[in-house]
Amino acid sequence: MYIYNEVDQKIVDERVAQFRDQTRRFLAGELSDDEFLALRLMNGLYIQRHAPMLRVAIPYGLISSVQLRKLAHIARTYDKGYGHITTRTNIQFNWPKLEEVPDILAELAQVQMHAIQTSGNCIRNTTTDPFAGVTPDELEDPRPWCEIIRQWSTLHPEFAYLPRKFKIAVTGSPRDRAASQVHDIGLHLVQNAAGETGFEVLVGGGLGRTPVIGKQIRPFLAKQDLLSYLEAILRVYNLKGRRDNKYKARIKILVEAMGIDAFRDEVEAEWEQIRSSELTLTDAEIARVKGFFQPFEYDASAAADTSLQQKLESDTDFRTWYERNTHAHKVAGYRSVVVSLKPQLQPAGDITDLQLEVVADLAEQYSFGEARSTHEQNLVLADVKNADLYAVWQQLAEHNMARPNIGTLTDMIVCPGFDFCALANAKTLNIAEQINQAFDDLDYLYDLGDIRLNMSGCINACGHHHIGNIGILGVDKKGEDWYQITIGGSDREDASLGKVLGRSVAADEVADTLKKILETYVEQRTDEESFLDCVRRVGVDPFKEKVYAAAH
Amino acid sequence: MPLLIDRQLVNDDSWQLVEEADALPQSGDLLLPLALYNELAGNLAGRRVALRINGDDELSSVLEALERFPMIAIEFPIFRDGRGFSLARMLRRAGYQGELRAVGNPARDQLGYLERCGFNAFQFADEAFSEEFLNAFGEISVRYQGSSDDPRPVYLQNQQN
Repeated sequence: MYIYNEVDQKIVDERVAQFRDQTRRFLAGELSDDEFLALRLMNGLYIQRHAPMLRVAIPYGLISSVQLRKLAHIARTYDKGYGHITTRTNIQFNWPKLEEVPDILAELAQVQMHAIQTSGNCIRNTTTDPFAGVTPDELEDPRPWCEIIRQWSTLHPEFAYLPRKFKIAVTGSPRDRAASQVHDIGLHLVQNAAGETGFEVLVGGGLGRTPVIGKQIRPFLAKQDLLSYLEAILRVYNLKGRRDNKYKARIKILVEAMGIDAFRDEVEAEWEQIRSSELTLTDAEIARVKGFFQPFEYDASAAADTSLQQKLESDTDFRTWYERNTHAHKVAGYRSVVVSLKPQLQPAGDITDLQLEVVADLAEQYSFGEARSTHEQNLVLADVKNADLYAVWQQLAEHNMARPNIGTLTDMIVCPGFDFCALANAKTLNIAEQINQAFDDLDYLYDLGDIRLNMSGCINACGHHHIGNIGILGVDKKGEDWYQITIGGSDREDASLGKVLGRSVAADEVADTLKKILETYVEQRTDEESFLDCVRRVGVDPFKEKVYAAAH
Repeated sequence: MPLLIDRQLVNDDSWQLVEEADALPQSGDLLLPLALYNELAGNLAGRRVALRINGDDELSSVLEALERFPMIAIEFPIFRDGRGFSLARMLRRAGYQGELRAVGNPARDQLGYLERCGFNAFQFADEAFSEEFLNAFGEISVRYQGSSDDPRPVYLQNQQN
């Protein structure tokens, strides 16, 4: 992973001192609420329902054992003993004290971490594939490009007061595991006809009140032009994006209003001005950054292991977990392990101080000292030898992180909802628990196959409900929580927005409604047809009829 | 109104802001909003003229005549309106060498970024200024990306140091 040099360290250290002074001035009444709001947001600090919420950056989801232990320490010392993994692969703490936040940031800086630009109207944490660098289906490791973007975007003086937040995702595989099509900019590593690797560039995707799938602005961008092109897009957006209405301020609205062709013309005209400048990446710099992401020294004898096969045959629980919660690795004899943060009785994505330490230890012992966070709110140990999988599984199981539900209905993305969030209209955690209780039969879940269920507690869509195969949106109706259900969304390479099933359902009817939807799927599906494919083939109507006919 | 130029507090400011054509004084340095300048351009021979622009203005006419203006003021109507950062960079990129002044509501905690984008002057409301503001410039002493202050990204800065 990327290791800080003196400059990197100085930036985070000076940023801590700067924020400490801003906090001091705010508490002394020298800084207005409005100014401190924008400044604290650029450092990941929200004021929430119960307390401030601090969001700590995990750049492109990559984190070391040392950093995980620091997060555990922060959870224990400054919070109530847990954190929450977000869909931007960051971690947030829900109970810090405002006056202690500078101390937390100073602790983070000790392990090359920070909270810079994890919120606010600026360029946010760049995200990527949690299996980057190890998945067999990859064209190129996207992480060096994420790091290059991280450095360019960090404390960028021109783009700190954008019309609205700005999110970039990079993928290196034709399989999109980063929801790149619903980002302000999606970058796909691709090859052109000449066999050169560069980027397909999408722009104007996003969720929130107006969900939009990103549009292609450029089919192929040479690698060395990455930053000049990003800067051109950001400059056009900064100057032309709407500032009169925060709900119309994302770049997706600008692109829709101008049309992609006119928007492209503006960007390309601006790009012409800067493409032959110091923004052009040098081969030496690309090579320097790539040097931090070289493959580990894998054990050449790992593939000769026979113990895994024996354990798979002798232990059904282990085999179930192996089939659901591990992912193919490009090196023979290795697998990537998904650490499930979707247990039966805890909020999706929550992780305790002890669990953080267990993952840190497992990473250190079995996975080269690194872990990743995923946009589905799980963690990944990316480089585990086949022979070690059984031991890893046992440890994870002991600490409630081995529920074999990855990719199934109960591997839900869920925002914290009304229980924590000041923006939310409805609770989400109780609904997730209701779903967990109603769908605890693993055989049934496996028969249903891959289903992405996403839930948001309000229209801001932090839980990505539009792009869930099943989406649940909490709405407030005269003081009561109701839930609108969509089906047919996808966050993958075939990205699509879900269609509304019909009128919203009461809080105590959500799980029953899902049951009817899934019964319809089982009735309608052809052999091997996934839920998503089935919805796409038969449309919403059969599902609608079943759900609302029975409700009479 | 307190004015900082090149990180120094300056007391005399010769520019007179004129917002209507009939209010044009017979002598002295003029600070004109772009629309008014365009309207009066033919009548300003021999006068020293500075421009005031904002994010809604079309810059092309300004870019064609940059050497005409010893000073250009860019308006920051509210704290969160960041268009002025890009306007400044585009003016500097086009070769503008004169004074670039942030007016309206530039805030203490924006000064470092504003300077990096090419501003060298900052004007504040009386009650909104403190001499402590001068500390803001040095808070972050290193930078990753090039900007108007130094076009080189960090890796090129290191190579040449």
